[in-house]
Amino acid sequence: MKGTAAHIVRTLLLSLITLFGVSVLIFLMLRVLPGDPARVLAGLNASEEQVARLREQLGLDQSLLGQYWSFITGVLTGDLGESARTSRPVSSEIAVRLPATLILAVTATVIGSVVGITAGVIAAVRRGSFLDHAISSVAMMGVSMPVYWLGLLLILLFAVTLGWLPAAGSGEPLSIVLPAVTLAAFSTALVSRMTRASMLEVLGQDYIRTAEAKGAAPRTVIIKHGLRNAFIPILTVISLQFGALLGGAVLTETVFGWPGIGRLLVDSIGARDFAVVQGIVLVYAAVFILLNVIVDVLYVVVDPRIRY
Amino acid sequence: MNTTTTARRRTSRTRSLAAAAALALLVGACSVEDPEAPAADGEGGGGTFSIAVGIDPDTFDPAGQTTTTVQNMVDYVVETLVTVDDEGTVGPRLAETFETSEDGLTVTLGLVEGAQFHDGTPFNAEAVKFNLERIIDPALTVPLGSPFEVIQSVTAVDESTVEITLSRPSPGFLSALSVTTAGMISPASVEAEGNTNLNYQNPVGTGPYTFEDYTAGESVTVQKFADYWGEEPHYDTVSFRIVPEAATRESLLLAGQVDMIILPPVSDIEALQDNDEVEVLLAPSDRTIFIALDNNDPLLSNPQVRQALNYAVDKQAIVDSVLFGAAEVMDAPMAPSLFGYCETGSYDHDPDRARQLLADAGAEGATLDLLTPSGRYVQDAQAAEAIAGYLREVGLTVNVTTSDFPSFLARVNAPPSPETVDMHLLGWAPAYLDADFQMQMFRQATHPPAGLGTAFYTNPEVEEILTRADVEIDPDTREQLYCDASEIIWDDAPWIFLWTQSFPIVHSTDVEGIGSTPTEKFDAIYARPVG
Repeated sequence: MKGTAAHIVRTLLLSLITLFGVSVLIFLMLRVLPGDPARVLAGLNASEEQVARLREQLGLDQSLLGQYWSFITGVLTGDLGESARTSRPVSSEIAVRLPATLILAVTATVIGSVVGITAGVIAAVRRGSFLDHAISSVAMMGVSMPVYWLGLLLILLFAVTLGWLPAAGSGEPLSIVLPAVTLAAFSTALVSRMTRASMLEVLGQDYIRTAEAKGAAPRTVIIKHGLRNAFIPILTVISLQFGALLGGAVLTETVFGWPGIGRLLVDSIGARDFAVVQGIVLVYAAVFILLNVIVDVLYVVVDPRIRY
Repeated sequence: MNTTTTARRRTSRTRSLAAAAALALLVGACSVEDPEAPAADGEGGGGTFSIAVGIDPDTFDPAGQTTTTVQNMVDYVVETLVTVDDEGTVGPRLAETFETSEDGLTVTLGLVEGAQFHDGTPFNAEAVKFNLERIIDPALTVPLGSPFEVIQSVTAVDESTVEITLSRPSPGFLSALSVTTAGMISPASVEAEGNTNLNYQNPVGTGPYTFEDYTAGESVTVQKFADYWGEEPHYDTVSFRIVPEAATRESLLLAGQVDMIILPPVSDIEALQDNDEVEVLLAPSDRTIFIALDNNDPLLSNPQVRQALNYAVDKQAIVDSVLFGAAEVMDAPMAPSLFGYCETGSYDHDPDRARQLLADAGAEGATLDLLTPSGRYVQDAQAAEAIAGYLREVGLTVNVTTSDFPSFLARVNAPPSPETVDMHLLGWAPAYLDADFQMQMFRQATHPPAGLGTAFYTNPEVEEILTRADVEIDPDTREQLYCDASEIIWDDAPWIFLWTQSFPIVHSTDVEGIGSTPTEKFDAIYARPVG
């Protein structure tokens, strides 16, 4: 475990360097985007003087280095600046919107993991059966269905036709059902494919035969000996998927009017609201890094043979 | 042998688990409150009226407004001094009377009695002075502030009389006072709870509703104000749901989860019109959509070529098939709802004439670039493709490119250069219903980068007429001047004149009292349940 602690410290130090790199990259990428933020914010009817004044207020008249310096010194003192679009502090803009996206991504990940692993195990155990083929076909659909289309279809069925669920927003406890299911479709399919492949590999191993021979209950064999050993690649897929869901939630958030951070990011890019975009991307990067550290630790828990 | 049976047993277990989960979902789903909930409670007012809109508000400060959707919400809370009706005629609101002096330099307002702000501050001449001075304060960014720059000073003559002195006569000034930008907020609220002058988050006005709550990305809620000076609205609460996807807004309405929506998918308008449970209002708006032509371009500087392009495009066909009828083909360089509009002419689809004009100008087979935003205006990129198709039919080569709006704006708002794009699709909606706002597009003063006169059109004759109209106090004379300018502009064809966009509003047939204004706003403050 000692080695693991050192490994985590090393990872965290590397993370800081990564975050610094991300900050430089996102800063520069925003600056090369065409479009003058002051003009976009001031609106189509604003006079040239108004735009120039706004440019000054936003600090866009400073040199690039000067702008980056104020941004990064702000970040280091915990100040992400102000949104040019809403005049509210970036930190509070993010704090208001991040939870919704996290709840959505976590729910979708749970759905994806539970359903995906279950389906994958069944498909592996009943290999070649009708059920296996059915699961494969559904997974194929899940991977290839556009989020927009699936989301609108679910809204039509469950909100308009059946009237069971809210069509949009996050105002009621049940509001999360449709967006979470929509967001989970792709990862469920992916996790089930991965589980099936990984399980098949493990189920062919000698120790499975040994376990069966010594009379262990089939359930024990599949779960304890099979799934546990097949779990590392599955865990990797799930954690990668969670990251992808955080970033990819924007379409789902748009379709379902879910008040998450993905939509704020898109709105902010559209308004060339640099401070907010920079803040969100940094927060994303930090979440990803944290996720990687957690997964590293989980590997050790799942597989005692892993040592750092 | 053994394995298979257990495996089978396992699957049946899994199956029952899945069934249980599905059942739990169903039971939960059935215990949802009746989705009819938003519908009205009936007698004696009360209840909630809910509207789905597409834009997450950027600011609730009237002075900071940029979009009509957000203005629409602010209008429930904050009132303006005057209103403008469909004819472009100014009417009273917080100002009962309004008079402009003979020389056009003094505007005198007589204020209503008994209006008060939601925080208890009385509405009076001092409050008006405070607000008008605030929107000309250079420290504040006021996106729609240009019409107010003529204010030289504001004097509170007595409690209910305000005198505004202008630096020059400005016939459009009174109409401009109807824009949400000039809405009246409580002077005390600017430094109160959560507000500063530069960062005004919680609006306090004199309107029929008080600002209650904003949940970012989710909803805006307003509550009925007990001491409102005017007519009492029906609903206790109005909730604006923020739903960016048009198809989802439509579903919310069809599922009975909201009472009203704006901007459904245009492709569904016909189906909605055939649906007995909803009512579709295709409100005329003042937003004109056009293809601005680079009048500096060697080829496009020839008016014959520009006319040819106008004849080449079948606008009506595009309105019918691409916009699903949600627009009116232009017959003047401005929307009919503006003061100063008169029917000017038409460029009917005439490809032979277009070919002839191109031949006369030696422009056959020319290559032109067309730039369009995507998703900014109704079916913008699709319409641009259709237009390009018609231009190709008369022998031109047209390359269409799309871009996101900020990038698009950066290109068309740049000073003239070899990089200036030949043609671009743009929309323009005057903030107040007066021709001078539209005519800015045809004046040298607004050539980029100074403004959005992106066609770089200029004509000394037009400039002369518009300069006279700028200071003409007599409405009839001014109207005639705009008519004259329109004739010249129409023949010069600096744009391919396309259409005036409609503003679709759809509401449940269980509610009534919903209308629209020509400035792309809904008018639903006095909505009520049917019967």
